[in-house]
Amino acid sequence: MELTNKEYYMHAVGNADEINELLRRYGVKFGIYKNGVFNEQFFPFDPIPRVITAEDFNGIEKGLVQRVNALNEFLFDIYHGKKIVRDGIIPEDFIYISKGYLAECEGVTPKNKVYSHISGIDLVQAKDGEWYILEDNLRIPSGASYPLIARELTRIAAPQAFSENSIVDNRGYAELLKETMEYSNCGGIRAILTPGRYNAAYFEHSYLAEHTGSVLVQSDELFVEDNILYHRTYSGGKTRIGVLYRRISDEYLDPLTFCHESLIGIPNLMEAYRSGNVGIVNAPGNGVADDKGIYYFVPKMIKYYLGEEPILKNAPTYLPFYEEDMKYVMDNLDRLVIKDVAEAGGYGVVFGSDLTKEKLEQFRRTITAEPRRFIAQEVIDFLDLPILDNGETVMRKADLRAFVLTGEKTKVWASGLTRFSRNPDSFVVNSSQGGGFKDTWVLSR
Amino acid sequence: MKRVSFYYSTKLTFDDYVHNHSFALRIIPPDTETQKILSCDLNITPYVSVQQTVDAFGNNVTAGYLKGDHRFLDFEIKGTAEADSSKHRTDYMPCYLYQSRYTQPDDKLTAFYSGIKQGCTGTVKDRAEGFCDMLSERLIYEKGFTDTETTAEEAFSVGRGVCQDFSHILISLLRMDGIAARYIAGLAFCDGETHSWVEYWTGDHWEGIDPANNCPVNDDYIVLSQGRDFRDCAVDRGVMFGRHTKQLQLVRSVLT
Repeated sequence: MELTNKEYYMHAVGNADEINELLRRYGVKFGIYKNGVFNEQFFPFDPIPRVITAEDFNGIEKGLVQRVNALNEFLFDIYHGKKIVRDGIIPEDFIYISKGYLAECEGVTPKNKVYSHISGIDLVQAKDGEWYILEDNLRIPSGASYPLIARELTRIAAPQAFSENSIVDNRGYAELLKETMEYSNCGGIRAILTPGRYNAAYFEHSYLAEHTGSVLVQSDELFVEDNILYHRTYSGGKTRIGVLYRRISDEYLDPLTFCHESLIGIPNLMEAYRSGNVGIVNAPGNGVADDKGIYYFVPKMIKYYLGEEPILKNAPTYLPFYEEDMKYVMDNLDRLVIKDVAEAGGYGVVFGSDLTKEKLEQFRRTITAEPRRFIAQEVIDFLDLPILDNGETVMRKADLRAFVLTGEKTKVWASGLTRFSRNPDSFVVNSSQGGGFKDTWVLSR
Repeated sequence: MKRVSFYYSTKLTFDDYVHNHSFALRIIPPDTETQKILSCDLNITPYVSVQQTVDAFGNNVTAGYLKGDHRFLDFEIKGTAEADSSKHRTDYMPCYLYQSRYTQPDDKLTAFYSGIKQGCTGTVKDRAEGFCDMLSERLIYEKGFTDTETTAEEAFSVGRGVCQDFSHILISLLRMDGIAARYIAGLAFCDGETHSWVEYWTGDHWEGIDPANNCPVNDDYIVLSQGRDFRDCAVDRGVMFGRHTKQLQLVRSVLT
């Protein structure tokens, strides 16, 4: 922390209320559903930045590029030759039982073979300084706009901090995203597809559209004619879309292919996509690679596809699917963290230490009955970060979502979303679980 | 080997004008080892430009978009083919080994499987034929009890169904037994509409079986599409806008 300029603290911390007020005024919110009721919440910003040294970032960067490249190879392989299954590296069951695997995408090759254009990789730093991968998000990872706008506002509130420290500018995200979208553009305009203002990340969709020069669209403004995707213009004309950064999930993309009962989606979008007439960012079917069960196999993928040793480690993970692991999980359940592979957003995460004896027993039976449904991990003692709580500095658990973009090359955005838990006893930092965020400074030296 | 002529038509009529109508048809029979398509003409009215693609399961997809107001959509195929059931298809996909939306068994169907599996042993062919026999004793062929949305477990619990239901239940049983199986939609002699049957994977090729008639598939069958279950094989699917409340569908098929 000695790397941070004291003056920054004085200014930024002194201006925390002002920054939060600005965020409120800019409409930086996220929405959540609870018990069927939609609520828009303010995502609390903490002014004390997380600082990552140039040396530390260099290691993370190499590791993330390697990981995302392997995941892209894996996705191509799964939807084509399936060599990794035939060679016995990953058991077939893990692919075909995964909800993220879409047989409808078999044989489809996206432009330039890029499947995961925007990957949100969640990491934590342990007390010994080592970084661990917690999970990969390869479908529609959100959150890049928060640190962007927070940085914009702190620049206004505490400009000296940025002139006196060597902090890598993070304002290039939009440019990077645009470059990534263009690499998958099949001829036409760029568009960002949002489910609408009741979506948790609507703020981000409009922010990114504005900053990448893309049209923000909803599915009822789009149609497919002659296997080409068009945007219906106000004057009754049509504009061809060459690349669609969609922020709706796979099953709602095309009612003629996936969820036939769905009222949203673009009929025959998959036909346009299969014909190579439109790029879809990220590719449909990516869920098979960020499944919590598949996570276990990512280090093996890196060796298999790239012939390299993984640079970044996974959190030590056990698959009850394997007999040996099952035994370990049964014996150590009270100190492991158990994740339901079908859940996301911090839901379905249970810490054995929080469970009563009866609950533990009950959980053992559930795992025995459905071994494929769960993974178990060692609880990593992650590094606490300082946050400001009513004027006091307190230490809280935090993670880092790094954004890795794949165009012609895979690049790591020199920033990221640091989320923290406001609850001192919680390890869960997801925004939907009431956490906050802070800026992530990557130092240039 | 047998030379056959096929004809299939659907007339969709709406009770009010519809527009912005997107559709996807799976009616052009694929050219495969077991059926050589000698000719196939597709007619769609009103006139609309269409695009052809091949989907993940190997089906010919005809996609179109009718923008303006219309009250009907008719499409028909007419052609000739050489059917040869002595040859074999080998287009295997591992997903056929796993239960899908329509074939997911409930406790009742699982119990039925457990009860009959002792009696269905031997080669894959023996087992498939055994399950088919057992099913034909259990399920009554009768129209009006199920529709295109009916799943295997629902049809099994009603105890009655049509070719689609027989296929879904047989696929469910085969997959429970570790045999990969796929749903086939097509045309057959004796049927006035589209027919459905099942193919199971013997270990190196697909073998056809018709559970509604409890017989093997011969040269009197023409495949239109295949997939994990009915969802992948619907002859026509569409999304349209308008104030219509009803659509009438007339289907005719002839195989000679």
